[in-house]
Amino acid sequence: MPLKRSLKQSLQRLSNLESKYNIFISVSSSPYKSVNKDKTSGILTDYVASIKDNIVTKDFPTTCASHILENFTSPYDATVVKLLKQAGVHILGKTNLDEFGMGSGGIHSIKGPVINPLYPHEDKMVMGGSSSGAAASVACDLVDFALGTDTGGSVRLPACYGCILGFKPSYGRLSRFGVIAYSQSLDTVGILSKKIDVLRNVFEVLDKYDKKDPTSLSDELRGLITKNKKVRKSLKIGIVKEFNLEGLPDEFQESYFTFLKKLISLGHEIYPVSIPSVKNSLPIYYTLSPAEAASNLSRYDGIRYGYRDPDLDIKDGVLFAPTRSKFGMEVKNRIILGNYNLCSGAFKNNFIKAERLRVDLVNEFDEIFRFPNVLTGAKGNPYGLDMLLVPTSSKLPGTIKKFQEEESKSPTNSYINDIFTVPMSLAGLPTLTIPLREKTPIGLQIVGQYGDDSTVLDFVKSIS
Amino acid sequence: MLRLSRCYSLASIKFVQNQSTVFRPEYALKCGLEIHTQLKTRNKLFSQSTNSATPLLDTPNSHTSFYDIALPGTQPELNWEAVLFAMKLSLALDSQVNTISQFDRKHYFYGDQPQGYQVTQHYRPFARGGKINLSKELDGIDELSKDISILQLQIEQDTGKSHYTNADKDVVTLVDLNRSNVPLIELVTNPDFSDIKQVRAFIKKYQNLVRHLHISSGDLETGAMRVDVNLSINEFARVELKNLPNTSSIINAIKYEYQRQVGLISKGETSSLMESETRGWTGSSTVKLRSKETTIDYRYMPDPELPYINLAADVISGVKGIMPQLPDDIMKMLMQKPFELSLKDAKILTYNSNQNDMYDHEALRSYYLKTFHEFSKLVDEHSSAKLPTNWIIHEFLGDLNKLRIPLSKAQKILPPVVFAEFLKLLHAETISPTSSKLLLFHILETFKQSKCQDLSIPDFPRLIKEFELHAIDNVDSQELIGLCNDIIVEHTDDAFVRNLVSGKKKTSLKFLIGQGMRRSQGRIKPSEFEKQFKEILNIQW
Repeated sequence: MPLKRSLKQSLQRLSNLESKYNIFISVSSSPYKSVNKDKTSGILTDYVASIKDNIVTKDFPTTCASHILENFTSPYDATVVKLLKQAGVHILGKTNLDEFGMGSGGIHSIKGPVINPLYPHEDKMVMGGSSSGAAASVACDLVDFALGTDTGGSVRLPACYGCILGFKPSYGRLSRFGVIAYSQSLDTVGILSKKIDVLRNVFEVLDKYDKKDPTSLSDELRGLITKNKKVRKSLKIGIVKEFNLEGLPDEFQESYFTFLKKLISLGHEIYPVSIPSVKNSLPIYYTLSPAEAASNLSRYDGIRYGYRDPDLDIKDGVLFAPTRSKFGMEVKNRIILGNYNLCSGAFKNNFIKAERLRVDLVNEFDEIFRFPNVLTGAKGNPYGLDMLLVPTSSKLPGTIKKFQEEESKSPTNSYINDIFTVPMSLAGLPTLTIPLREKTPIGLQIVGQYGDDSTVLDFVKSIS
Repeated sequence: MLRLSRCYSLASIKFVQNQSTVFRPEYALKCGLEIHTQLKTRNKLFSQSTNSATPLLDTPNSHTSFYDIALPGTQPELNWEAVLFAMKLSLALDSQVNTISQFDRKHYFYGDQPQGYQVTQHYRPFARGGKINLSKELDGIDELSKDISILQLQIEQDTGKSHYTNADKDVVTLVDLNRSNVPLIELVTNPDFSDIKQVRAFIKKYQNLVRHLHISSGDLETGAMRVDVNLSINEFARVELKNLPNTSSIINAIKYEYQRQVGLISKGETSSLMESETRGWTGSSTVKLRSKETTIDYRYMPDPELPYINLAADVISGVKGIMPQLPDDIMKMLMQKPFELSLKDAKILTYNSNQNDMYDHEALRSYYLKTFHEFSKLVDEHSSAKLPTNWIIHEFLGDLNKLRIPLSKAQKILPPVVFAEFLKLLHAETISPTSSKLLLFHILETFKQSKCQDLSIPDFPRLIKEFELHAIDNVDSQELIGLCNDIIVEHTDDAFVRNLVSGKKKTSLKFLIGQGMRRSQGRIKPSEFEKQFKEILNIQW
């Protein structure tokens, strides 16, 4: 089943694909070497994977697609990488991304934008971001699966644009140790693949408590989730009114209705449901995540690692300004926005308010789900739902040129893309985007209650 | 050159022109302290690297983990030992431990601040309230009793250290991250101090407390404890004083700053005192470091990945249960019946002076209390409290210092039960004090000669017999009369005897008794001599 036999082919195809789609930041010259044959055994033996370049690896540089981390190689492997290596996975390379994971187009990279391989003969189309290279590496069949990270939709949108599966597990299930923080109250390691079985196997290998990650879900709570789990043949599935499906293009609506009909024929029940706080999601997200980003990116001063301005550490009385001026424009925008939100004057009005509204949103999700939330202590609504269906995107990928034009008019234009993906990030819910069509990137997110990842995975398996 | 925002340099203190500062009531001093205390946990606050006990001897950057140098992708792992230490301190200060406290990030750029922020507790500190009581009796302040109330205690990370060197024209800053991420407690007092004595007493008392609790070395010299001062006069704006590496610089900086501000106020030049500012201490004067306008906004943010410190009530009560008796309580206990120690002796048993390598105060106190207890059992009365005190704190300790024998070793041949036996011999006047001193020294000297290896318990009766140290109960009266007559002949003249007999110079009798004691090597009791001298000289008084 693994792609092993095609790994050589992959490597041969790689240079051709690479020049065309700009998928990788670094590639292994000998992916077999990274695996110690004696020690490895398991369900992932000889699978080939790519790793997003904001997850640290000993064997490759880790750049975050940023000038700031040019030539940086980590002295340790991220926990997820370590687990994959132990399971016998070959790592083909590190994939391109929006710098530090900030962006939804896959265009803000020091290495240039990733081009969507679904459109080989047209104008250069966006891949979606920020796990743009991850999605493209899977879409091109270069790897069996890819690891990405998802902060507000960064796995799901590019997976959708590549017509593949993209899974953002419950927050805290997969270790973030070694994942370079963008906004760690939201950052989640995600898995992209074409096959649900592969995706599920990878998830099971990585789904472990890690004592090195203070936000890792404890074994105690994992046990509680398993205890709460009930296998149901017929699921109660909700459609969220606030996502306003009527406003979507006809082509999208048709795909959804076809899919819903299929579900009903399989014996599932569909309900409309209201989650009013969804409308606050973008303001909450764009208040909290830039603030965390501004804080997390404060460590890049060039002193201990990464790029350092060759001449100056201080300019106009500002420490490290010469070095830090090398961040890309989008990263700079978010650092400024984040610092603004953290200023003592604005903190109470913005940051604290956003945190409060985030709690409200989580509470509303808790009210509509049947499964208990082990983090908040919500018992679960006995008449509640098992799953939600939410579109992954409201439109098909456009050209890179158009994306850049819109963004240059106002940076918030690209932020609006995130409306369908951000609410689940804020609540840490397990969400898997599936392609509804084969060649047309129309995706749908399957959303479970916090911790109930298996229901989502079981469901996708049952319909594939 | 880079400018420090927090510099705790060990700059040598220059001579301070010591005009005695006059604190005048019309210029009321209001002063508070902000004390950073390094906790001596085994590991650092959020990583497994060693929290070195000998920071000045270490190779720079030898105690650093990936987290300490803020490598991308690293995460903090809370060291609960630091939380335990913070809890002990809070309870000792009678502070209210918050059942939920949280970590926040304080942002500023600096070369020795690898994350670009310091993890501290800003929004919900570890504990609030509490106090340290200062008293005239124990701490020598002018007031009978004064409480210095505490605003809050918070747990936070220490920063690294910057060293500046001049290489040719360039100023090079070397960064040492050994100290980075060492756990600190920041304690902030309310501005309750109104004079220097209180400040000095507080620092000493707090320093002793953290040592007593075994949570910090409390040393100002090594930077394990660092004190910032805020002060204001007559409700003018608050001035913060930083870079105060030891007690004398703290005291001198306050004095200097007080004089400076009084000078400005009395001349009516108060415009510079309207806004708060931060001043540093150069060793001889305070200089402005920054004012309010140039203060940076720290952009405090709740840390998005560190969990809350969530303490169940039974955890707090559990720690309460293992708290040692506190220094003030120990002092009071020792100064009351049955011990009735002097303030000075009580301090020897309570305060860690860090100056004697033959014993530590806790072991000595324990030895004293046990011996006292054993002795009380033997003599069955409390009138002889002075005996254990004098013989342990003065005689015994004196011998140990002289012979360089650690208490821990001497205890092996003189455990409390045995020492109590020894005291009983004295109490029963079986041997005289003079003989006892000789005997104790002899026992310890023999022990020392065996390189502290001969652990046999001294056989007092045998030794007394061997050296004929027995006090003589039935003195041969002819021998005594002869001895006394000899002394009178050798040491007196007519005037001496006249003055003594008339009662004009009664102390002369003591002199004669002393001579008698010397001649008899202390074996004849002073009372026998007194009786005999009075009889021979016909002293009526």
